[in-house]
Amino acid sequence: MLYLQILVNGLLLGGLYACIASGFSLVWGVLNVINILHGSFIVIGSYVGLLAHQQFGINPFLTVPVAGLILYGFGYALQRGVINRAVGQPVLVTLTLTFGLELLVNNTLILGFSADYKKVTLENPLGQIELGAIFIAVDRLLAMVLALVLTGILYWMLRGSRLGRAIVAVRMDREAASLMGVKVNTIYAVTFGLGALMAGAAGSMMSMIYPISPLTSTAYLGKAFVICVLGGLGSVPGAIIGGLVLGVIESFGSLFFSAELATTFSFVLLILLLIFRPTGLLGRRGYE
Amino acid sequence: MKKSWFECHTRVVRLAHIAQVFGLALVFGAALTGFSAGAVAAEKTLKVGAPLPLTGPLSPEGLKQKEGYDLWAEQVNKTGGIKVGGDTYKIQIIYSDYQSNTPRAVQLAEKLITVDKVNFLFSPFGSGATKAASAVSEKYGIPTIAATASSTAVYNQGYKYLFGTFTPNSTLTTPLAALVRQKMPNVKRVAILARNDLFPLAIANVMNGSAKKSGFSVVAFEKYSIGTLDHATTLTKLRATRPDWVFATGYINDLILIRKQMRDVGLRVPVVTMIAGPAYKEYAEALGKQAENVTSAAWWHPAVRYTGGPVFGSTVKYNELFQAKYKKIPDYAQASSSAAGVILQLGIQKAGSIDPKKVRDALASLDAKTFYGPVRFGPNGQITSLDPPVFQIQGGKPVVVLPAAVKQADLKPIK
Amino acid sequence: MRRVETIYGPLAVLALLIGFAFIADNYFLRLSTSLLMYVVLALSWNFIGGLAGYPSFATAAFFGLGAYCGAILQKAGVPMFVAWAAAGLLSGVFAMALGRAILHLKGHYFAIASLIVAEALREVVNTWTGLTGGGMGLNLPILRLDVTVQARFFFFSMLTIAAASFVLSAFVIRSKLGFGLSCIRQNEDAANILGVDATTYKISAFTLSAVLVGPAGAIYATWVNYIEPGDVFEILHSVKPIVMVILGGAGTLYGPIVGAFAFIVLEEVVWRNVLTFHSGLLGLLIVLLVLFMPQGLMRVTARRLLRRKTRP
Repeated sequence: MLYLQILVNGLLLGGLYACIASGFSLVWGVLNVINILHGSFIVIGSYVGLLAHQQFGINPFLTVPVAGLILYGFGYALQRGVINRAVGQPVLVTLTLTFGLELLVNNTLILGFSADYKKVTLENPLGQIELGAIFIAVDRLLAMVLALVLTGILYWMLRGSRLGRAIVAVRMDREAASLMGVKVNTIYAVTFGLGALMAGAAGSMMSMIYPISPLTSTAYLGKAFVICVLGGLGSVPGAIIGGLVLGVIESFGSLFFSAELATTFSFVLLILLLIFRPTGLLGRRGYE
Repeated sequence: MKKSWFECHTRVVRLAHIAQVFGLALVFGAALTGFSAGAVAAEKTLKVGAPLPLTGPLSPEGLKQKEGYDLWAEQVNKTGGIKVGGDTYKIQIIYSDYQSNTPRAVQLAEKLITVDKVNFLFSPFGSGATKAASAVSEKYGIPTIAATASSTAVYNQGYKYLFGTFTPNSTLTTPLAALVRQKMPNVKRVAILARNDLFPLAIANVMNGSAKKSGFSVVAFEKYSIGTLDHATTLTKLRATRPDWVFATGYINDLILIRKQMRDVGLRVPVVTMIAGPAYKEYAEALGKQAENVTSAAWWHPAVRYTGGPVFGSTVKYNELFQAKYKKIPDYAQASSSAAGVILQLGIQKAGSIDPKKVRDALASLDAKTFYGPVRFGPNGQITSLDPPVFQIQGGKPVVVLPAAVKQADLKPIK
Repeated sequence: MRRVETIYGPLAVLALLIGFAFIADNYFLRLSTSLLMYVVLALSWNFIGGLAGYPSFATAAFFGLGAYCGAILQKAGVPMFVAWAAAGLLSGVFAMALGRAILHLKGHYFAIASLIVAEALREVVNTWTGLTGGGMGLNLPILRLDVTVQARFFFFSMLTIAAASFVLSAFVIRSKLGFGLSCIRQNEDAANILGVDATTYKISAFTLSAVLVGPAGAIYATWVNYIEPGDVFEILHSVKPIVMVILGGAGTLYGPIVGAFAFIVLEEVVWRNVLTFHSGLLGLLIVLLVLFMPQGLMRVTARRLLRRKTRP
């Protein structure tokens, strides 16, 4: 019974993780840029949810599309204006650039919202579902379902729509895509915007579940890293599987070892993966 | 023909040479001006340094300390200042923001002493930073009052210049354990969840001992790292040990999350104690109904009634003055900070001088009554004379359930 | 003749610094000691990042490892200098082993692996409370010396390590190793074909990037008397040296020093005046630097500054 509860915990966690990581993975896979800002994007999404709730009493789940769109705009502009100058440069350049941007954005967030941890507390808490001895928090369940749905929509868009196919084409071969008439710069900006959108949406969902503060951005980023390497770069199904696997591994890890070792555990896992199987579980090769 | 320096080197190397010399000249010049920066103040002012986390994750705590210090300084200066041996000194508190970064707190403590030439120091926030910065005070022989450090590990360095206003952690946990044992005989099993940080871990360890001494069995002791976002699995693990009492430590955001997730995983117990969050109104606000009947303990509570000491004179007066200035009720962090000021003042007055060594000796032998409680320090500099209250959130507000002298309500179990 | 002249410059600087130590007040001594520490970190990173072209974020790992090694040994009664040397040994050996494990990775993967190592070490230190004090940190015994004497002592200690880094850099850059690393940076496969033993060279560079960072960390621990995992393994200890080297000019001998100096001066000015936006301004500096001046101060020309798109 205990194990079943732990499994449920892990899956609930995993769904959220999948949403956090899918945008990050996409940007990394297509632009070959590690977006250190991803964590902050999530936090901004959370604040959107918080503000909507505080000012207008709107349930954060409903703010998800709004948060997503705001972040899309922000991400698109950021990529077009700043990051695009460095795309194609050595890793050091792009990584340091997004790191610098992250410092800037994070500090601005702290100035604007203060570092205090805030929480969205609904007047009528959603409560739990009890299935025998298994407890499932309703807000987490909804968040997980919504996260998976959103990720699913992203995947469907990448496969089905014209825009999506252009993105995949750029990921596979930039020059060839350009020769085919794809506007690579626009695709870059759109992809980055999409990554930000997923982050913002995830953030809004999580505003009810996790404490909100600019200080949590690194925690989210760390998770995104591990999931991407687990699932393989640029692969949305990879992000989903990676997320679920990580959620379950972390939960069982906490059970058998100790909560404080959970983070160490995921890091060690990441290093081992990088050393022995950097292409991840699904074996999809990313950029070098 | 000998080549000149100019011709010998490439432009690149020449640039480097010039930069180095220029840079050194800059550093030189700065050093020389730095010399004259420590100008002696003409007026009779007593400078107290206060490195605080005014920004960053600990900023809520830092701001509370500042509120306490400011209230004290303002009130003292209103009466003209501290009168010592014929002179009257106004108080000037020099704040410095260490951005919740401990090494910076240490650097700033040193800077306050060497550059700003403060006479005394108030410690930074929390046991960790207080311990780190105390080395600086000891090095320079500057009496330092710590308003927010309770763990004995802070005071075990054999330092002579550090004084703390919080009693050891066991004074919080032992009365609490005894109370629960007395009032709720059905509660037998305790599960402890501690944040892996100096103060939260220290007090959890102490609780372990107190619980066992009072006859409880400690069925779980788990630690979580700083920045943990999800406690679901740990709490599920705790649930499996069927506890009656959950004791959790951390800072306010951790504890809010833990309380919420306890509900999420179905961990329902009659007694929940959390240190150190429930004292603050933000806790009850964030949790609403879930905060009801959560217990906690602290070193002071606005419901206590003490009299004595300069500036404030009594707890009632303190609460009044605080409310008038800040439009809210004080909690133990602000009271402790104001008390630090009062204690410093008492030390100076007792010593009859502002000489650091004399003040230090006066503080060590102090035996006084203040709005904060009776003040006596042990040989390690930590206060020994307090009777920390235990309180419980009832009706959305913390009420005192112990000690009996100031009790406002009885301990209730969580339904 | 050339060699004699290039020695005069650094020697003169050294003499100036020694003289400086005896007239400056404690605060500037402290600042300069910090600067020298970063000079060590920057020069060390230059081996693997500037010369070999591998974006390593492991500097914080070596620094923290050295700090804890030094601290734990000193608490156990080992004499200070021995502890510091041991820290260097431990960092070097660790880097060698780590290098063997991750240097076959390229680009982003290597960067992340090196970054994660620091995080993993931090967590290990955090949980191994019995040895390291965990989240509660470690207190080192304070030196019962006069304050000014102490400040000078640490200044000279850091200066020694900085001078050692400089000499080491000078030797390596002009040696076969340096040349080989440059080849690797430009095209590793071609270098391999031409007979450069890339693996050995890379591991050497990686080890070099650690072997003086460890003692710097150990000296830091003794200097500040209190260390905790979040502080010594902080990612900024990896990022700042990188920014400094980029600022000064990667792969050059004086670049890291110039960059470190410029950075610290900037940071100090900013820190004094704009406390609340400190890291934000640092971020802005990084962004501007990367976009407009990735060659660094040593190679800057007006023409390059005004170019719109950057080139490696």
